[in-house]
Amino acid sequence: MTFPTGAIRNVETARSLEDVAARMRSVFGEEVVTAVHERKGGVRDEVQYYDLWIAVEKGRLLETVDLLAEFDFPQFHVISGNDDGDFITLYYHFTIFQAAGRGKRLGVIAAIQVGKDDLTVDSLFSRLPAVEYSEREIREMFGVDFIGLPNKALIFLPEDWDEDIKPWRRDETGPADKDVRELS
Amino acid sequence: MEKQYTIPIGPVHVGLKEPITAWLDLEGEKIVGATVRPGAIHRGIEFMARERNPIQVIYLAERICGICSFSHITAFVRAVEDAAGIPVPPRGQYIRALTLELERLHSHMLWAGVACYSIGFDSAFNLGMVLREKVMDVLEVLSGNRVNYGVGTIGGVRWDITPKVAAAVREMVKYYRAEFYPFYEIVTEDPIAHARMRHVGTLSYEDALRYGAVGPTARASGVRCDLRHSSPYEAYADFDVTPIVPQDYYGKAYGDVFDRFLVRVHEVYQSLDIVDKIMDGLPEGDIVWEKNATKVLLALKKAEGTGWSAIEAPRGDDSHVVHLAAGDENVTWWKVRAPTYANAVSWPVMFRENELADAPLIINSIDPCISCMERILTTDVGRGDQRLLTRKELLKMSREKTRRLMGK
Repeated sequence: MTFPTGAIRNVETARSLEDVAARMRSVFGEEVVTAVHERKGGVRDEVQYYDLWIAVEKGRLLETVDLLAEFDFPQFHVISGNDDGDFITLYYHFTIFQAAGRGKRLGVIAAIQVGKDDLTVDSLFSRLPAVEYSEREIREMFGVDFIGLPNKALIFLPEDWDEDIKPWRRDETGPADKDVRELS
Repeated sequence: MEKQYTIPIGPVHVGLKEPITAWLDLEGEKIVGATVRPGAIHRGIEFMARERNPIQVIYLAERICGICSFSHITAFVRAVEDAAGIPVPPRGQYIRALTLELERLHSHMLWAGVACYSIGFDSAFNLGMVLREKVMDVLEVLSGNRVNYGVGTIGGVRWDITPKVAAAVREMVKYYRAEFYPFYEIVTEDPIAHARMRHVGTLSYEDALRYGAVGPTARASGVRCDLRHSSPYEAYADFDVTPIVPQDYYGKAYGDVFDRFLVRVHEVYQSLDIVDKIMDGLPEGDIVWEKNATKVLLALKKAEGTGWSAIEAPRGDDSHVVHLAAGDENVTWWKVRAPTYANAVSWPVMFRENELADAPLIINSIDPCISCMERILTTDVGRGDQRLLTRKELLKMSREKTRRLMGK
């Protein structure tokens, strides 16, 4: 497929939070929106912009990005995440409407759960090459494999790192006490 | 086809005082491909935070970067405040914004100086460093420190703007309005600086979007993005900050190193205007939500949630994500995404079809993290004497160098 369907440009006119949330709900169901954070600031303490938190199945991640691209070319920030027991939760942080006027930016955070029985996710690289460092980081830190990511070499860990140790995992694959040296 | 060679630039560097490796594929002098390998200095800061409470992590976050230390703690404390729902009093917001702009001023001046150094224009480099001293002095008046100011905390700031600080800030703005222009002029009007930076390391508008470039790097490619404008936070909620893009000033965005220089230089002037607005509109009142750190920690221990903060650091969007779990007194998890993490992804695109000799400049064009040189001291080892060069002398030397090279 070609991504996005239109030109690679930022739109100059934003749509409302309600429009984006309604479109999300119509595609992924009512439960998709997990939180809306109102971000306030200034002397009058008024809402300046919003962050929209959503949760989707990991198999529908590419669809989520395509849906965001219906509104604006998505700006990718980072993947954050945690080892939550039976699964790794990954949070993909995006912005839409970054160039659509003052206070119009919408932060969109898409959470997926990657079960430890199948630690694979579709890579976003073909759509957004900006994800390269983040996907490589999540791969080496959590052991999640990104299908379609061309360069799977280590990025922040040293060449001689024992790749069986996943630094951010909290189970037996994470760093053991003997792997951690206290400096003070 | 010519035989291809692959050579490493780094980890110990010609262009940068920080370790990163760029493997460049060369045909003759031309760069045809590049692979970047970070990882020589990963300190596992996010892992370390798991055993520290949010107030302790502030001081860890402050040490991520020696230049934009305050940007990192602002992004971190804002993420904590988002997760826990903690408000910041208006005066605290204004002092945060002021410190962020002071940091932007010294970061941009450092970078502009370093860009000159990368092209062998050392007198202009030293001139930039001399100019930078003024804002470092103001930060010292505010906080007592030059690098890690310890200004920010959860729910506000730790240092107030006293009449003495206010006077130093006003005097600094006046100084830069008078003294910064000659620096801009000697570099932009120097034909060699122009030749070395124009059409070098170009990043197109489309690639800036696809590769997720941020901050001045993205703006130099014509992307009208600035988080202070698109999602106003802190004091920026009370006045507009228009994103600075080359097409608004020079008719067109080339997306090259020269445009990255111009964007940063104009942002210096923009920051001065912002500092004025902050000082004019500075509200009275508390500077922090709760002074007692024990009470803050108790509130944070009860909090449950994930928070995200993206702020406009000098190099672009600095994103921090924090999770706090109820009952856990430590930061459960934390993710830091510094602007360079985003901008470095674009390096291979910028390198393509450029000359090997321009590689250090292209590397420097996005990330100026070089520890600060305070002032220039000339030492004659033979005679054993020392002399401090003044700003006027450096300006004169910079002009003479341009004339000499132009044969005038």
